[in-house]
Amino acid sequence: MGSTFMGLETSKRGLQTQQSALYTTGHNISNANTLGYSRQRVNMEATSGFPGVGLNAGTMPGFLGTGVTAGSIQRIRDGFVDKQFRDETNKLGYWESRTDAISQMEDVLAEPSEYGLQQSLTDFWKSLGVLSTDPENGGARAVVVERGVAVADSFNYIHKSLKNIQDNLGKEIGASVNTINSILKQVGDLNKQITDVEPNGYMPNDLYDARDNLLDQLSQLVPIEVKYEKSGGNALAIAEGSVTVTIKTKGSEGLKVVEGKEFAQMRTKSVNTSSDNVNPNGDIEGFYLVKLNPDGSDMKVDRNMVEETGTPTYIRHEDFLDQGKLKSLVNSFGKDDGKGLYPEMIDKLNLMAQKFAEKFNEVHKSGTDSKGDKGLDFFVPSDGTISASTIKINSKIQDDPSRLAASDSATAEAGNGNNAKNLGDVLFDKDIDLGNDSVQSFFSGKIIGELGVKGQQAINMTKNAGTLLGAVSNRRDSISSVSLDEEMTNMISFQQAYNASARMITVVDETLDKIINGMGVVGR
Amino acid sequence: MRVTQSMLSNNMLRNLSSSYNKLGKLQEQIDTGKKVTRPSDDPVVVMKSLGYGMQVEKVDQYQKNLGQVNNWLDSSEDALDGAGSILQRAKELATNAANTGSMTKDDRDKIKIELNQLQEQMRDLANTKVGDKYLFSGTMTDKPLYDKDNGGYPNLATDVPAPTGPIIDGYTSNVEIEVFDSVSLRVNTNAAEMFKDIDKLFDGLNAKVDATGEADDNINFGEAISNIDKQLDVVLTKRADIGARSNRAELMHNRLEMQEGAAKKQRSLNEDVDMEKAITEMITSESIHRAALSVGARIIQPSLVDFLR
Repeated sequence: MGSTFMGLETSKRGLQTQQSALYTTGHNISNANTLGYSRQRVNMEATSGFPGVGLNAGTMPGFLGTGVTAGSIQRIRDGFVDKQFRDETNKLGYWESRTDAISQMEDVLAEPSEYGLQQSLTDFWKSLGVLSTDPENGGARAVVVERGVAVADSFNYIHKSLKNIQDNLGKEIGASVNTINSILKQVGDLNKQITDVEPNGYMPNDLYDARDNLLDQLSQLVPIEVKYEKSGGNALAIAEGSVTVTIKTKGSEGLKVVEGKEFAQMRTKSVNTSSDNVNPNGDIEGFYLVKLNPDGSDMKVDRNMVEETGTPTYIRHEDFLDQGKLKSLVNSFGKDDGKGLYPEMIDKLNLMAQKFAEKFNEVHKSGTDSKGDKGLDFFVPSDGTISASTIKINSKIQDDPSRLAASDSATAEAGNGNNAKNLGDVLFDKDIDLGNDSVQSFFSGKIIGELGVKGQQAINMTKNAGTLLGAVSNRRDSISSVSLDEEMTNMISFQQAYNASARMITVVDETLDKIINGMGVVGR
Repeated sequence: MRVTQSMLSNNMLRNLSSSYNKLGKLQEQIDTGKKVTRPSDDPVVVMKSLGYGMQVEKVDQYQKNLGQVNNWLDSSEDALDGAGSILQRAKELATNAANTGSMTKDDRDKIKIELNQLQEQMRDLANTKVGDKYLFSGTMTDKPLYDKDNGGYPNLATDVPAPTGPIIDGYTSNVEIEVFDSVSLRVNTNAAEMFKDIDKLFDGLNAKVDATGEADDNINFGEAISNIDKQLDVVLTKRADIGARSNRAELMHNRLEMQEGAAKKQRSLNEDVDMEKAITEMITSESIHRAALSVGARIIQPSLVDFLR
């Protein structure tokens, strides 16, 4: 039989355990709306029975229960759903960023609208039509020149705007790399705190949450894989240990970026070396990893975070999976192979401007102006060769529209507008090295059409990834998020158990009172 | 499945935002009247829209060009009508002058004065202008066909005998105006030679009237009259030519109108919103949105908390 006060002890454990369950319920309710919080549960265990096993143990008809204890407080979470969530997150990150980049491009090109390049080309063509019927009219000439200026301006404007957005994308790459680096450092720090605490038998649930939250954020930027290393010492079996984070790349070997308290930092390798090695200074070649020396300087490391002497191994952009915001930004910004959403679009516009100007000049030079002189170059570069950024109207023609070569005769014939007609035809000429396209069809098909197709794909993929992420996120919430109804129900049951334990103590108290104060007082 | 408050509110937010998106898109469609506003809405529609837009603008320009064509042709026709009348009058005068029996020197002087006037008027007709253009100067539309200051008509390659001085081709070049893709109409009437011949004819006639003394009644006007008839014939031929081209212009006008209708219809079919459909869709979406809002408001509110104690 147990000791006199065993009943008190048992009920006290009940009080304490139910109380800790109540407090945990309070914690859950308080964090019902905390991002990344997973609900916690007190794992209650019955304490070992009496008597214990041993030679001198008294014999009894069986074990006598000794109450309850809070074995551990555990997060309710499913690692598999986390993995799915992160996979979908980095897909969504990729497509969202791409949709954004394309949508900005669409804003700049502004088609279909009344102020896009198409409209200025149409107006230009119409003004040439007027000139061809009215070549002696100085007004018609001035209009052609002005419309030509508008065409050149449209090219210049679009080029400049695209370049600006491209620059911003570059800045976003730098910012993303900085975010990645900051997350890697925080994960490393959390690993350290966690591995400091776990060997003492603690479960640092809120640190786990913070770490998982960071990993969720990281997975938006790059595709990651996580593995766990158990802590030694007196760690609980369900303790999670420290996390090893690897950035997934093409090929089996990833890039290890966090292991225990060690963490790597990412550096951008661009065509022109940037001063801070984070913000790209031109087309992107790839990335490389460093660890920080105590003095803050970079120590170059390889894929396994082992110091590397000599030239570091660059991880080229094409080795990165097409997942995550970072790769999407690189794909939009431009790579050292000349590919990329923005560089390709700028190249196409340059090509279009160049071919149009060349053919237009050729036809213009074959004509005669109203003074009987041969035509000059109509479009000239402001610098170097003609491209979307440099195309402008020859200032001689702009100053004196009578130099427009509207006539196709060798001598001055004021009423000859045949060359103006030929100039208009340039827009529809397929024989100008644009791959069987005319300037008109190149613009509508190869530039606007292809942009639309890419945009549509990106939007659809974003929607799909968003839907999938929503489903996974729901699954995760179904497991980990706090249900107030459930917490209320738990609260009531813990409260009642607490009350009952307290009542138990009263009962024991009354029985003891009987022994102590009510017994051995015969005849008193 | 375990369902929690956060799931309900997340779902509701997601649904509301997608239904807002849809409403926004429909609003944009109804406001602009266009199915698409950016290439990614529908690449094919946008591509076609650029093409059809160009087509409509082209037809518009060709219609303006055709206006110019009619301007040229109508004015040329008027001028040649005038030329015909002048020749008719000249013929009458020549016939009178030939009437040797009753003609006195006074009468002939009067005829001569009128003939001079007619010649001048013919020269004015050769310099007929529409706007800035001399109609009968070929492509030299900024130069009068008959140069009053330097005297006379330009030297033409067809002149017999061969002219001295430079031959300027421009006066006999044709002016063409494009009225459809690679369809051009000649709008000028190449009359330099004709006016030059008529001028010579008047010179001859004048000389004859001038040279005729009272004593000499036997001058042959017959040849002059037949020459006038020949030139009348030339004028008539040119007018017939203009008539034929006017007919073609009329035909092109009809064709362009058809083309305009077709191009606009195609463009509209391609990119215009079907209003009935869009508005119906909007009303449907709106009622779904309202339902989502009211259901959300009912479900998000209560929890067990509300019912305990």
